This record gives sequence, structure tokens and C-alpha cells, in this order.
Amino acid sequence: MRRLRFFIKLQFWFSLRQMRAHYWRVLAVLFGIAIGAAVFTSIRLAVDASLDSFTQSMSLVSGKTDWVVTRPGGRVPEGLVARLNVHPAVETASPLLTSYIKIFGEEAEPFLLIGMDPILDRSLRGWQVKKTKQRDVRLWLDLVREPNTVILSQRLAQRYNLKPADIVTLEHIHQVSKFRILDTLQPQGLALVNGGQIGLADISTMQEFTGLQGLVDQIDLRLKPNVTGDDLADLKNLLPPGIILETPTRVKETGDMMIRAYQLNLSLLSFVSLFVGMFLVYSLVALNAASRRREVAILRSLGGSKRLIFLLVLSEGLFLGIVGWLLAIPIGSILVKYMVQGVSSTISHLFVRVHVDGLRLDPWEILLSFCVTVFICLLAAYGPAREATSIAPREALFLQDSMPRQRRFGRQITLLGLLLIALAWPLSKLPALSGVSVGGYTAIFFLVLGSSFLSLWILQWMGSVFPPLLSRLGGEPAFLGGRFVRDAGRRTAVSVGALVTAMALFVALVIMIHSFRSTVALWVNQTLAGDLLLRPKMAGFNQYRDHLPEDVVRVLRALPDDVQVLPFRQVLLHYAKTPYQIEAIDIKLFLNYGSFLLLKGNFEKIVDPVMTGQGVLVSEVFASQTGLKIGQRYRAQFGKSIMNVPILGIVRDYRTRGGVVYTALEPFQRMSGNYEWSGARIFFKDRRQDLKKSAEDLKAMIFRDIGQSHPLEIISGEELRREILRIFDETFAITTVLLLIALLVAGLGITTTLTVLVLERIRQLNTMVAVGASAGQIRSMIFWEAVLMVMAGESLGLICGFFMSYILIYVINRQSFGWTFLYQVDWSALLVSIPLILATALIAALPATLLVLRSSPALVLKES
Amino acid sequence: MRRHPNSWPVFFFFILFLNPAILADSVYADEYLKVTGPCRFQFPRDHGAHPGYLVEWWYYTGNLSDPAGKRYGFQLTFFRTQISPPGLESRWPDPASAWRTTQLFLAHAAISDLDASRFYFDQQMARGALGLAGAEQQGDDTRIFLGTWSALIKSGKHFLKARADNFEINFTLVPAKPLVAHGNEGHSLKGIKPESASCYYSFTRLETSGTLKIKGKPVKVRGTAWMDHEFSTAPLEPDVTGWDWFSLQLENNTELMIYLLRTSQGGYSSASSGTFVLPSARTRHLSVKDIQADILDHWKSPHTNGVYPSRWRIQIHPLKLDLILEPNLADQELITPETTQVNYWEGSVSVKGKIADKEIKGVGYIEMTGYANPFNLLK
Repeated sequence: MRRLRFFIKLQFWFSLRQMRAHYWRVLAVLFGIAIGAAVFTSIRLAVDASLDSFTQSMSLVSGKTDWVVTRPGGRVPEGLVARLNVHPAVETASPLLTSYIKIFGEEAEPFLLIGMDPILDRSLRGWQVKKTKQRDVRLWLDLVREPNTVILSQRLAQRYNLKPADIVTLEHIHQVSKFRILDTLQPQGLALVNGGQIGLADISTMQEFTGLQGLVDQIDLRLKPNVTGDDLADLKNLLPPGIILETPTRVKETGDMMIRAYQLNLSLLSFVSLFVGMFLVYSLVALNAASRRREVAILRSLGGSKRLIFLLVLSEGLFLGIVGWLLAIPIGSILVKYMVQGVSSTISHLFVRVHVDGLRLDPWEILLSFCVTVFICLLAAYGPAREATSIAPREALFLQDSMPRQRRFGRQITLLGLLLIALAWPLSKLPALSGVSVGGYTAIFFLVLGSSFLSLWILQWMGSVFPPLLSRLGGEPAFLGGRFVRDAGRRTAVSVGALVTAMALFVALVIMIHSFRSTVALWVNQTLAGDLLLRPKMAGFNQYRDHLPEDVVRVLRALPDDVQVLPFRQVLLHYAKTPYQIEAIDIKLFLNYGSFLLLKGNFEKIVDPVMTGQGVLVSEVFASQTGLKIGQRYRAQFGKSIMNVPILGIVRDYRTRGGVVYTALEPFQRMSGNYEWSGARIFFKDRRQDLKKSAEDLKAMIFRDIGQSHPLEIISGEELRREILRIFDETFAITTVLLLIALLVAGLGITTTLTVLVLERIRQLNTMVAVGASAGQIRSMIFWEAVLMVMAGESLGLICGFFMSYILIYVINRQSFGWTFLYQVDWSALLVSIPLILATALIAALPATLLVLRSSPALVLKES
Repeated sequence: MRRHPNSWPVFFFFILFLNPAILADSVYADEYLKVTGPCRFQFPRDHGAHPGYLVEWWYYTGNLSDPAGKRYGFQLTFFRTQISPPGLESRWPDPASAWRTTQLFLAHAAISDLDASRFYFDQQMARGALGLAGAEQQGDDTRIFLGTWSALIKSGKHFLKARADNFEINFTLVPAKPLVAHGNEGHSLKGIKPESASCYYSFTRLETSGTLKIKGKPVKVRGTAWMDHEFSTAPLEPDVTGWDWFSLQLENNTELMIYLLRTSQGGYSSASSGTFVLPSARTRHLSVKDIQADILDHWKSPHTNGVYPSRWRIQIHPLKLDLILEPNLADQELITPETTQVNYWEGSVSVKGKIADKEIKGVGYIEMTGYANPFNLLK
């Protein structure tokens, strides 16, 4: 204990006093670390919130269900419920029919209406209204006996200012209908599903409202205890062809896995800010250690062991880590609010629908954030701490602080950098682990680290080659600045390394996002072509489970001859655990107006077989997620029918939440026996007319004819493109924020480094003033130093960014999301942003230039 | 070992719909059919359901024994309740869902393993739709079912089946006597007003045999059972706080049914009555004046703290019948705690006594309601 007290006192004298003397440096580094830690933690907490919301919703909907009876790509006949209920292994078999619906006339997002039998469901799912238990009995009884009655969650009721006994008009593709609100659900059990935006209805009411008499989405089973494998086999035998028995956790597991993989992806991205912050810590601790060589030497001569010195310097890293993390708390608490919205929206677009209504502070996440931050800082302080142990006691006799001698390890570190860059290539070829592109991320890490290691070499090279040129541009100050950069050594290189990291990330993401956006735009134009696209309202929410009512189909069939209606059927299926959609469309007609972005396959050869249903086209995402390749068989079951055809081509497709399989409509209808339309694309045959106006007119006509009785989504091709790109931008909002934060931290790095360099040379600079240099010349010299440093960082970052973008597009995106894009560099964005970053970095250098001649040269020289 | 599954208001439901307060709350209260006079049963038609009446039940109870002499009691009851008045179907959406129904079915099954002092109970509920539950007639056969539980009434034979977690019954019941209609041609008054009545008939002696499985272990059993079938819309009146119902089978081939409606003022409602069935199946109606019921002992439920009568002395003066009724198992209380708040005792009893000074024995079943908590009719 005494030793610890002594160590703490020593720490105070040795480190904290120094930090207090140069508090602004410390504050800048702490701010950098705090931002990094805050971003890292808030991103993880935001994804946790989405994950919680998803798993909670899934668990609450599943309730105590052991097994689920479903029909892939369809619905289950209700007659099975009674047969299952009398099976000896079954405790209860309860039907479930759900749909996202809207309150008529409201612009707000749809809510989930759950239709079930309150009697059979009683042992599966819990819900409670605010009244007494007796009232509950009456309540569910009213739900059963009175058509068009619902119980709304309190949150939903409050949102629309609805109360029991109110009449509310709900809309579904089948009809618009009035409902009486029986009561409101307390926020517990089922009422928490979908972020509390739910309603309950009796199964009969639900069927009548949705026009799904005779069908249910699924039958949830609760089995008796000690059910054997034979019982399960017997249960399966009871099911008609096409109906399957599966665990309720499948969807949950898939969603859970996807969100966790996304969390890891984002965590790694947000880690960049911390990584950049690590450069700051290194820079500060190294400077602190270097500027106190004499103190260290005195300590050593007084008997201080190397271990003590090592711990003293290392504990500076610890201090920065702990305080930085503490500062991250207020920053994170602000950041997380914005992150939650962005992250949940992205997860909803990409993977599974989540509705986050709260944030949970997971102690493990807090601990993880603390440990990662502190570890990073300790790691950054390790090098300087090791170096400090090499200070000999005799240095205590030196009259002045001697600056550290640069070890001659420039060549080694450059070679190491080249080696790391070389290793990035094979690493990027490694397969993904559980949906996470471990190899890709490691490759990027190696690439960034390797490029950063090259910064010493590039600084020395620039400092050797450029000064003659610089002297022409900026005179002697520029020449001297260049020479200084050459000799400045490792600390400057570390700051440049931070800029390399942020710049590389910036360039890579700019290229990736631009490539992605351009490819998506092309895809929207080609594959999602259509002057008008029509589908049931909330079809996206309900995953196309509702088809167009006959009335609507009749209206579409009767449209004038100058329009071509292309109906399509879209069905959600699962390939093992992977969700995907099969889209059946008249491919021959479609190719008159649009096309597929074929990635693999010979279009000329495959077009005929695809049009006649002798093969399918699969999306890149589907192929990536399932591992299926061209030539392999695609198998799927639709009710009693099985589709078993070869995969003829792989196409680009960027629809969110899973892959897609394209097949010809007519053969699909014959095979499945299902002639319903999920929606339709409408084209004008005469392409010379004012398509926009014609589309608007046609849209108005369809709405007039049928839109009042059957809620439809009719969107023009242009609107759709805009909407998809809006979703795209929303999805990448988080990435952009992370990118900007990394740049901010890198900017801080430049400020710190230059300031440190100025301070380090304060005597030298003042001597120059004393021998005749003007303040302007000194500032100019520092300016040119900054220019060279930023140019070194930018150029290395630029090259690294190009490589990184390749890995992002062809490795990480493919492994994480299953898709790649056409590689396109956004030159204009780069050309604008690179000088902008240069300018920003130079502005970041301003504090250093202002600092130079704050005190009079005479005073400075006298003091030293 | 007791089982109180599912915690749902099965019995309460039944009671709920008997509750005139609930009916008064409904704008449709007057639209249900009412029993106002002789029921003029026609069989097999009247074995079936009587939609339009608010509530109906088919009630089987019996005392059995296995070849080793071990004794058992059983109960299997099906309730039907109409949740919306007749004619309301016309307001249903068109086409209506097959789940839409006016009928709800509930069922209780209980086994009293008397020598092992164990009581098992289970309950079920489902809507009368889509083959989940119902009462259907085909030819002369009537089948009342709910899930795997069923009562099949054929000409001359009844078949009972029920599979619960701890027990399973598979019994064949053969009427040893023709059925008897209670009251005035089945019109059984339950109050002062004529419409406070039910249509009520019984098979008072059914020779029963079959297999009883307890915890998976099957035993062959034989004995006698009793069957009630009753339907009504408003059988009880406001001041009734509970009832005691007795079905006794005496060894001289006679049977006695009594229901005593307890009032809030104490004593029994004047509508309480009974039926004595002679060996020839001729019946004698008993009014409340003919019946003297004295409680000799009490049993306090460890589950609900309800205090139930546990020994009775029943005297039917005109018949010179003096009987002592003793439960074969003290704890035959059915509890549905979380939601129903209605607990009741329904169990096997032994009968000893005299008829016209001659010693006589018998077996029976008693149902007692409103002891563990207020019956809450019209309260």
C-alpha cells in the first residue's frame, strides 16, 4: 500500500504536473479520445437497442410457442387448427394472422394488427388491459362475439388520441373498414411488440377484414411436456403436403444473426475513430516522455528502476484512457440519441423491421467500451514507455533536455509497412466468419497500418526532394519547413499516420458510396423499370403476403390498350435460414421495357430458357447468401408443388432484406396453381408522349376507380427511384457521420502535432527570430511544414483509400450484405474534397502558428 | 395431487352467463329464448344442443371401482353458452369467417382417486366452430365434444372420452332406467318467475364400465353414473347466493336429486326442489317443504379458506327418507384462482341412512357453490 501511495505521488509530480502545465494539449487529446470512445459506445448501444427491440418483439409474438406450423410462400388452412388441437402431443394449437395496417387518413407509419383466438391463445401470449380481471373476461368475449372490434395498445391509442368506444377507420388492401375500440392494452406482454404500435383483433375479425377467410399465417403449437421425437414425427405426418413444422426461433435467429453482424461491422467502423485517437495518445505520451528525459534520468540515478519508469509513462496512457472515457459519457449520451434513429432505420431497411422506443444501458457494453478505450490508450503509451526505460541515468548530468535520438529504424518500419500492405491482399481473400468479413476488415487494418508506417518514409522523401521546389514557391521559410519535415522524425510521422487513416477511410467510403449509389440508380432504372408501379398498400411492410384483390385486377385488365400491364407475383421464402423473395414476372414483356443487370451468365443463351421457365435468374445477394452458383439447381416448394430448375444467371439486385429469384410468371402460375397478382408494373407503349403527365393521369384514374375501396400504393418510376435513393442515403447517414468524426479526430491530430512541434522548437524558433527572422517568416515556415505533412497524409491516404475501396466493395460488402457494385470513382467529389481537407487541415494548423511568438524571444531564450 | 390448469374462467364463464346482471348489461338480454313452461322433450332431438338459450350443460358424474375394490369418482361436464343472441348473425360481415360463432363450449373433467386420496381436475374451452367444439347430431346419435373430450349419446348407450394430463377416461354407460324429466315435464323452476327456469332431464342410473387411466396406469372400472342435461336462459334469481346440488343413487334402485338454492337472507329459496325416482322410473316431485337438509360438519379448504358443509343429514319427510351424506374425499374442491374467483366443491359422497326405518346405503355426488367466495349473483 505504501508503494502504491508513493507511486501515485510520483505520478502526480512526474506526469500530472506536466499535463497541467500543458493542459490544452492534454485537453485536445482527451477530446479526441472522448469522441472516439463516445462514437464506439453509442454505435454499439444504438445497435443493441435495435437488437433488443427485435428480439423482444419476436419473443413476445412467439410467446411460449414450441413449434410453428407454416406454409412456405403462403398461408395455412384454418381447418388444421382443430386437427392439431386433438393431437396427444399438443397442449394447444393457436392460429395467428397478422398484418401491418394503417389508420385511414393518417400519414404515420403502419401498425401491426394481430389476429388470434383469445381462447386458444391464452396459454401462449399474455396481454392485459387496464381494468379488473372480470373486465378482461368480458373484453375478450366482446372481441370474439362482435365483428370489427379491436383492442389497441395504449401507445398507439395515445398517439392518435383514441380511447375506448371510439370508432376508428382502418385500411388494408382488402378494404377500408370501421372498427370499435374495446379498450387499450397495458404496456406489457404483446402490447410491447413492434415498439408498442399494435392492435389485437379476434381471428374472425382479422380474416373478414383482410379477406383471408379460411386461412391463417401460422399455427403456433405449445406441446405437452416430455414430447418425444416420435410425437414430432407423428405431428409432421399429420400435416398436408406443403405445410411444414418449424421452430419459432428461426426468424428470430436469422434476424439476430444479421443484426449482430451489422453491429460488428459498425463497431469496426466506429473503432476507426478510436484508432485515430490512439495516434493522438501516442503523440502526447511520446512528447511528454521525450521532453522529460532529464527528469527521467534523475529518477533513474536516484534509484528508480526501469520498471518504475515504464509504469510511470504507461500510466499516462491509463490516465488519458480513463479521463477520455469519462468525457465520452456526456458526448455519447448526446450522440446516441441520433444514432438510435439512424441505426434502427438502417436495420429496418436492410434486415428486419425494428421499432426502437427505448435505450438500455447494458453494463457489459459500458465495460467493453471502458476496456477498449483504456486498452487503446495503454497500447499507444506502450511504445513511449518502453523508450523511456532506455534513458540512461547519466543523462541527468546533461545541462539541457536532450531530445530523443531518432533510432535508425526508418527503413525497418517502412519495410514493415510494405509487408503489411502486401499481406492485405491474401487476407482479403479469406471467407467470412458468421457473416462478418473478418479477413476483409483485417486486410483494411493492415492496409491502414502499413500505409501509416510509410508516412515516415514519405515525409523524409518529401523533405529531401521538395525543399528546392518549395524555396521557389515560398522562399527560405518553405525550404526550412521542408527540411524540418525531413528531420522531424517519428512523432510527425505518427500524426501523418492518423491523417492517412482518416483520409484513406474518407476516399474509400466516397468511392464505395458513389459506386453503390450509381449502381443502385442503374438497377432502379433497368430492373425496376416501370412508368407506374402498383401494389397493395403496406406491401413492403407485409412482405407481399397480400395479393391484389380481384376488383383491382379487373380494373387493371380493363386499362386502355396503349398501356402494357405487367403483373408480378412476389413470395417470401426461406432457403435454409436465409430469407429471400421469388418474383415471377412476364420476362419477355419486361425485357421490352427494362433489363436485368447481369453479373454472370451469357444473356443471349439464357434469355429463352428463362422466359419459358426452364431456369431462373438469381440475385447476387441470393447467390452469396446461399452459396448457389450458375448451373446448380434452385429448389423451392410452393404448397404441394416443387420448383426445381437450374440457375442460369446471376444478376445485380439491391432490394433490401435478402436476395431475389426471378422466374417467368406463366410457368410459375401453372406450377404453383396460384394466379394472384402481388402487384403490377405499368408501361406506356408510346414512349414519345409526356410520360410523367400520362403516369399522373393514369394514377388518378386508377385511384378514382378502385383506390377508395382498396388501399393501393401507386408510384411512378421517378418517385420510386427518388424513394430508393432516399432510403439509400438514409442507410449511409451513419457511415457518413462516422467518417466525419474520424476526420475530425485526425484534424485534432494535426493541430496537436503541429503545436507540439512548435513548442518543441520554441527555443530554436525564437533563436531564428533573434538572428533576424520575421514573425511572418516563422509562421510561413510552419505553414509549409503543415502543407507538407497534410500532403503526405493525403497522398498516402488517397492511395490507401483506393485499395481500401476495392476491399470494401468486393470483399466486405459481398461478405456482409451479399452484393457488389460497379466500381466507379466519384472524381468530382474527390477533387472538391481533397483541397477542402487540405484547407481544413491547414486551418487546424493555425493554433500552432499563432503560438510561435506569443512570448518575447529574449524572454524565451533567457529562460532556456 | 391437485391440478388447476390454465387458470381460465371456465366455470366462471358459465356462471357469468347465468348472471342476470350480465344479461341486464346487454341490450340483447331479451332476445334469448326463455323456458316458460313444459319442455315436452323429444328424443333423441333433445339430447342435442338448444341454441337460442343462453346456457346448456351435459353433466356426467359417477362412482366406480376397480377389480381390486379401489374406488373412484368422476365428473365430465360440457357447457355450452351462447355469446350473442339469436338473429345477430344477420349483422355479421359477408362472407363471415368460419371462426365467427355464437357458441362457446367449456368442459370440466375430474377424477377422485378415493383410496389414494388424490383429486385431479382439468378444464377446456373453445369456440363452437371449425370442429374445435360443438354438439352435433347425426341420425339418432348426439355427440358433444370439445377437443379430445366427448360424450356420444346413442340409443341405449353413452360413451364418454376425455384425455387430460394426469388421467384419461373411456367409459361406456348403459341406462339402467329410462330418463326422467324434472319438474313439470322438464320445466324445472329455479325462481319465482316462470322464466326463471330450465329444461331439465336426467339419466339417474347408468351402468358404467370402461377404462380409467391415472398417470398413464390403466384400470378397468365399473359402477354407476348420473347424467343431467339442462338448458336455460335465466335460471337463477337475484337473491340466490349459491346452490347445493345432490344426486344420490340408493341400493334399492331408487334415486334422489335435490337442488337447494341458498338465499342472501339465509335459508333456501322456495324454488329449491327435488325429484325422487322410483325403481320403475316413475318420479315424485319434491318441493322445498318436503326437504330438510342439516349440515353436520364442515371442512375448511386449505386452498381457499372456504368453509364447506362436509356431512349432511337429508330428510325427505313424505318419503320417510333419512340419509347421512359423507364425502369420500374431503378435498374435492375445484379452484380457478387467478381469473374466475369462483371456487366450488364437486365430489363423490357415500350415503347411509334409513328409508321407512329400513337401513339403506348408496353413493352420490354433491356440488356446492358460493362457499369459498361470494357467488356474486346480482351483487
